[in-house]
Amino acid sequence: MPMSSPIRALEAVFALALNTFRETVRDKILYSFVLFAFLISWMSMLLGSLSVGQDARILQDVGLTAISFVGGIIALFAGTNLVYKELERRTIYVIFTKPLRGWHFIAGKFLGLSACILLIVIAMGLFLSFLVLLNYSDHSLAALNAALISVMPPVMLVFLELLFIIAIATFFSTFASPLMSVLYTLSLWLIGHLGDSLRQLGQLSQNGAFAKFSEIVYFILPDLAGLTRIRSSLMYNRNVSPEVIAYITCYVFAYVLILLVLASMVTDRREFQ
Amino acid sequence: MTDEAAIAASNLTKDLVSSFLRKKTRVLENLNLTINRNETFGLLGPNGAGKTTTLKIFVGLMRPTAGQALVLGAPAGDPKALSRIGFLPENPYFYSYLTGREFMEFVASLFGLSRAVRKDRCNELLETVCLSRADADKPMGKYSKGMLQRLGIAQSLINDPDILFWDEPMSGLDPIGRRDVRAILSRLKEQKKTIFFNSHLLPDVNEVCDRVGILNHGKLVAAEKISAISSSGNYKALEEYFLQAVCDTTQT
Repeated sequence: MPMSSPIRALEAVFALALNTFRETVRDKILYSFVLFAFLISWMSMLLGSLSVGQDARILQDVGLTAISFVGGIIALFAGTNLVYKELERRTIYVIFTKPLRGWHFIAGKFLGLSACILLIVIAMGLFLSFLVLLNYSDHSLAALNAALISVMPPVMLVFLELLFIIAIATFFSTFASPLMSVLYTLSLWLIGHLGDSLRQLGQLSQNGAFAKFSEIVYFILPDLAGLTRIRSSLMYNRNVSPEVIAYITCYVFAYVLILLVLASMVTDRREFQ
Repeated sequence: MTDEAAIAASNLTKDLVSSFLRKKTRVLENLNLTINRNETFGLLGPNGAGKTTTLKIFVGLMRPTAGQALVLGAPAGDPKALSRIGFLPENPYFYSYLTGREFMEFVASLFGLSRAVRKDRCNELLETVCLSRADADKPMGKYSKGMLQRLGIAQSLINDPDILFWDEPMSGLDPIGRRDVRAILSRLKEQKKTIFFNSHLLPDVNEVCDRVGILNHGKLVAAEKISAISSSGNYKALEEYFLQAVCDTTQT
């Protein structure tokens, strides 16, 4: 069956994804980050106990921030090393001397890392749900259900943001060194969060060029601050319509797809000296 | 596809450009070379002669600046060609956390081999390269250089390729390892595989190859049958031939 066959292509992508997943999930350094997130979440229980009646809110806020932060660090460093490690160890020679195209490789690497990050995020989310349950006076099944409903949907929105970070990191890793990839990815992540503030600053400023620039940046980069606002709304049990969730999911997926296509194009043009 | 030539390079030229100063260095110049099917060809040359660059162009890891490289009638790097070749990189270093068996299954999946075929093929090849079951189930991060080389050879054979491209297959192996690789090469010759490899080890090249080519400063300076270089089977004649070819071109 030629590689042009969709089934063969999917098999190759799955093989690369499984390979990447195994390599990433077996890297012990990952677990130190996850442990860190668990500790932060546990500490947030202590912080909550110091507050007046806001312990549940503080626990969820701090816990979710820890998941977002630790997940982001893992996505950033694993993503920027995704292609670089293969180049450094020359394992990429074994891959690109097989009948594959750049997009098979990029899709496989991205899916493998995303699956690993999803596992980590779900584990951290379940742990946070457990802490929230401990915080309730009632520990029944209904309380567990309530804890899961309040924690897991915002956690999945964290994962959506992390998909974007992985995609940016993957793109930069196809041509930049790990250090530069980290800097570029971090910069875009920050600008994504501050884009709206930057645009407002541009509108307030007297400088027309800056106002235009900030407008362009706002429209090019995804609005990660908006994603955070929706996440907070979900966490505080404010109604968020399914249409908004669907829109935001498609929004992030569109960005991810564009970045992966660009990464594939760069990979296809690369030479391996 | 032509019936005769397994590998054909015509006027193959390669310039490397340094990323910062954009300085061009010509590493391969007007290489014309034809390797016939079922032939075992050894490419020799001093360090930096362009042997690995030549190999990388044939397996599609690099593109020529000028000229053409064909593998089994298809352009080098074309998926049609890649599906029928096996490649062993120099000093292979694979994934630290995967076991040898998992890695073999991964490579087999890239060729689209079915699960049942994959399992049998992997076991057969691991046995061929003398990697025990226990070793095959260890993470590759714990492998010795010799074990990595054996695994590298095994993965290059997974798709039962028509042509093998091996870069320094004996590199870093002890005498037992080299003997085993020579035995594998002999078996592959009997199976009528076309084998193209780079090596510095003249005794092994002398024993295994049908023909050799000598590269120096990116140019093919000599190509001859082993039987024409030495009838006695002693590698000294090959060594003399090599030194003469390299020294002559260095002086001109």
